[in-house]
Amino acid sequence: MDKLLDLWLASGIYNISVGQLVMILVGLGLLYLAIRKNFEPLLLVPIGFGGILANIPEAGLAFSAVENAVHFASPELLANIASVLGISGIDPHDILHAYHTSNTSTHAAATLLANDNNFSNGMLYNFYTVAIASGAAPLIIFMGVGAMTDFGPLLANPKTLFLGAAAQFGIFATVLGAVALTSLGLMDFSIQDAAAIGIIGGADGPTAIYVASLLAPQLLGAIAVAAYSYMALVPLIQPPIMRALTTEAERKIKMVQLRHISKLEKILFPLSLLILVAMLLPDAAPLLGMFCFGNLMRECGVVDRLSDTAQNALINIVTIFLGLSVGSKLSADKFLDIQTLGILVLGIIAFGIGTAMGVLMAKFMNKLAGGNSINPLIGSAGVSAVPMAARVSNKLGLEANSQNFLLMHAMGPNVAGVIGSAVAAGVMIKFVG
Amino acid sequence: MDNLLSEGLTLMVFGMGFVFTFLTLLVVVTTYMSKLVVKYEPAAQPKATSSRPTPTVAVQQGSDELVAVISAAVHKYRS
Repeated sequence: MDKLLDLWLASGIYNISVGQLVMILVGLGLLYLAIRKNFEPLLLVPIGFGGILANIPEAGLAFSAVENAVHFASPELLANIASVLGISGIDPHDILHAYHTSNTSTHAAATLLANDNNFSNGMLYNFYTVAIASGAAPLIIFMGVGAMTDFGPLLANPKTLFLGAAAQFGIFATVLGAVALTSLGLMDFSIQDAAAIGIIGGADGPTAIYVASLLAPQLLGAIAVAAYSYMALVPLIQPPIMRALTTEAERKIKMVQLRHISKLEKILFPLSLLILVAMLLPDAAPLLGMFCFGNLMRECGVVDRLSDTAQNALINIVTIFLGLSVGSKLSADKFLDIQTLGILVLGIIAFGIGTAMGVLMAKFMNKLAGGNSINPLIGSAGVSAVPMAARVSNKLGLEANSQNFLLMHAMGPNVAGVIGSAVAAGVMIKFVG
Repeated sequence: MDNLLSEGLTLMVFGMGFVFTFLTLLVVVTTYMSKLVVKYEPAAQPKATSSRPTPTVAVQQGSDELVAVISAAVHKYRS
């Protein structure tokens, strides 16, 4: 009978909290969106599944050794941990607070004490430490994105870089929105939180995760989910804004065919970009450095094997661990919060403003160039989200004129947006990091 | 509170300004780089001209008259 009672006391049904139940449902919801609605399935399947794993009661997959020890330990061990952390009480909340705010050496001492008592880090916690806390996974993915990117359309028409710059306005407008909400007393975001939320408007998953892991790790789950969900929603969010800001005649503008780009230019471009980053904004060097490296491997033509690995096998492996690690941050106490709602709302505003500014900039450039050479529809592609945003531009162009193929023209601002949001990320990290 | 708002505003002005400055410089660098490459790249143009004489040589054996006509046409086209 005692054994049966033990089994019951250790079961998930006995231990589950309301928050964990809700978060498991959120995880299932993400899986539904990914599998049934095809929302960025490559990311949302691992994130949703990781979210479910992280909320399994008593398994402690997303917790560190100390957090697991505090959850399960006897009062004597709690007292030992508390004394290592330099506090007197053995209230678990106080201990965890002291643990999270402690310096590295105390942190390590507490971890070793927990290890001595046979508590270890949860699997997802280890994934998170290796993949995201170290910064490795987003950067490796950025290298793969670089290896997949063809800068030909951008080199044929370098002015489209301005469109990629204009679309980053969404990022900074959202930062302002987040601090305004805080000033009004509706939310409680620090300037670092605001910067990390704003980067959702860059529509670039790895950049958003990288910035959030540096500036606001506690919001990472919500920010990553918002960023990837909105990237999947680009075909729904952008067209109404694009239609509202352009006239029928502007949408019909045909653009001249792009010139041929030589191999040498394609090799020199990532190197020029790298030198510019090195000279002007070393804080963006991790992101853009890996990006340029990936692109150089693609274009130089002598390391096809490495380029192939970076854009296929490696990026796939890293995506699995990145998704599971992000899922580990979907814990009830952090995600079920009014702040998450704020992040979702601000994120979609960031997206909308970015799209609008890209289109307006394209209209402006078209006016300057005489009014009949730049189709404003390509401006919306300035919010990275490669290649979805470019496809949306192409689709709207074909709607206005069935012979109007804008895809290659929109790829220019599209990859410019990737560079733009990485530069914006570097600025954020420099100013508020 | 106001402090936070002004911090946000500063970040916006500086950030946006920097993004534009950086990408403007990139436009300049890229354009200049492309111009240099197009001007000095050895591969593209000489190949196009060097491939032209070869067929002419083959034709020469067939008909001298034809060669004269073609070279006159080429001269006219080039001038």
